[in-house]
Amino acid sequence: MAVVEFQGKQFEVDEDGFLLQFDSWAPEWVDYVKESEGIKDLTDDHQKVIDFLQDYYKKNGIAPMVRILSKVTGFKLKQIYELFPSGPGKGACKMAGLPKPTGCV
Amino acid sequence: MAFISSGYNPEKPMENRISDIGPQHFTEFLQPVIKKNFGKWVYHEILEPGVLKHVAESGDAVYTVRCGTARLMSVTHIREICDIADQWCDGYLRFTTRNNIEFMVEDEGKAKDLKKFLNDQKFPGGSFKFPVGGTGAGVSNIVHTQGWVHCHTPATDASGTVKATMDAVFDQFTDMKLPAPVRISMACCLNMCGAVHCSDIAILGIHRKPPIIDHKYLDNLCEIPLAVAACPTGAVRPSKVEVDGKDYKTVAIKEERCMFCGNCYTMCPSLPLADKEGDGIALMVGGKVSNRITKPAFSKVVVPFLPNNTPRWPEMTDVIKRILTAYSEGANKYERLGDWATRIGWERFFEVCDLEFSEHLIDDFRDPAYYTWRQTTQFKW
Repeated sequence: MAVVEFQGKQFEVDEDGFLLQFDSWAPEWVDYVKESEGIKDLTDDHQKVIDFLQDYYKKNGIAPMVRILSKVTGFKLKQIYELFPSGPGKGACKMAGLPKPTGCV
Repeated sequence: MAFISSGYNPEKPMENRISDIGPQHFTEFLQPVIKKNFGKWVYHEILEPGVLKHVAESGDAVYTVRCGTARLMSVTHIREICDIADQWCDGYLRFTTRNNIEFMVEDEGKAKDLKKFLNDQKFPGGSFKFPVGGTGAGVSNIVHTQGWVHCHTPATDASGTVKATMDAVFDQFTDMKLPAPVRISMACCLNMCGAVHCSDIAILGIHRKPPIIDHKYLDNLCEIPLAVAACPTGAVRPSKVEVDGKDYKTVAIKEERCMFCGNCYTMCPSLPLADKEGDGIALMVGGKVSNRITKPAFSKVVVPFLPNNTPRWPEMTDVIKRILTAYSEGANKYERLGDWATRIGWERFFEVCDLEFSEHLIDDFRDPAYYTWRQTTQFKW
């Protein structure tokens, strides 16, 4: 698999640009990904979504359902798409370092 | 090939972005006679296999010529279809819900000429490009899936099995001699994309071996609770293993509980289960969706396993032909395959189709399995 180098850090990624290991996540990863996900500047709102996804994943071993993400962060799905144009799965989960969404997507 | 921009600016991805416009409205593409008589049709008749006539209140008539397609098609082929539509039908055409093509003309003679023209078109290999048929009590196109062409969970191929089957039943496509229409469908795994669960005859890809577990990668690639919850029989549970002196979070699979559905692989890339010898085809029969005379019905498994014998699947086409022949000889007019099997009794169905009945066909999935057993003394020797 491909290895990405960014600001002195190395990240192992798959063909869709998802991290292969959640543990290899670092703040630099977010800076590296944001451009390919159509995000110019990282705001506190972005950070709030990423932090929650990571906490939830560490605690439960899965990514939260969209309704849980909305309810806890207080962002409606529309706002999540405004923050992450590719959506909560391809955008936010990728930046948070979570595994790639599976199933019939 | 060198990059050619469509005008999209990756620096400003949301600029000039058009979204949520939906499909174009179908009325923009209606053939003029159909547009004029929309909602005012009086009756229709099937003039001959593949040719329909619809008559409107105004007296207008439209003739439809239906021809088969492979569903998976190149742009070259679509352009050829457009050329035919330009030449014969003022550029109008439509696709049916079973992926046949319909050309509409306003004159009966023209419709028959078009049928002849379509039947004359062939690929270099000799196959018909646009075989006319698929109407009335025959076998129309096979609703099918992606198979080895594009999907990652298949247990068999879609396009290959469908081509082999349609070759075997081609006479029924171009004719209308069966007791009722026979719908054949195909799905390459038991996600059953499409219509296999409700078709007269259904071809279904199945596995026969449990998944292989990539312990080293599983925790990083998968959300373990999702893989656990994906299992219909509770065979998957979270677990820990030691590989090369390192501890890994992973899952354990109770193989005697696993029935090889592959749902866990859908959720978790570290649980692949496709297997050359293990994978194959199950055949189901007797489903339907219409409410005509009897209620809609699910199809039932009648052949638990047939090998993936590429590229022509001879064992599979042999059984399908046998079922079709027994049905066409035994069923009454208007009787769908499932209605016929229910009337004569399933024990008789297995006899006349010369199919082996094995323990695999007896339902053993949860409480509802009980209702599929026979709680009566009524049966035939």
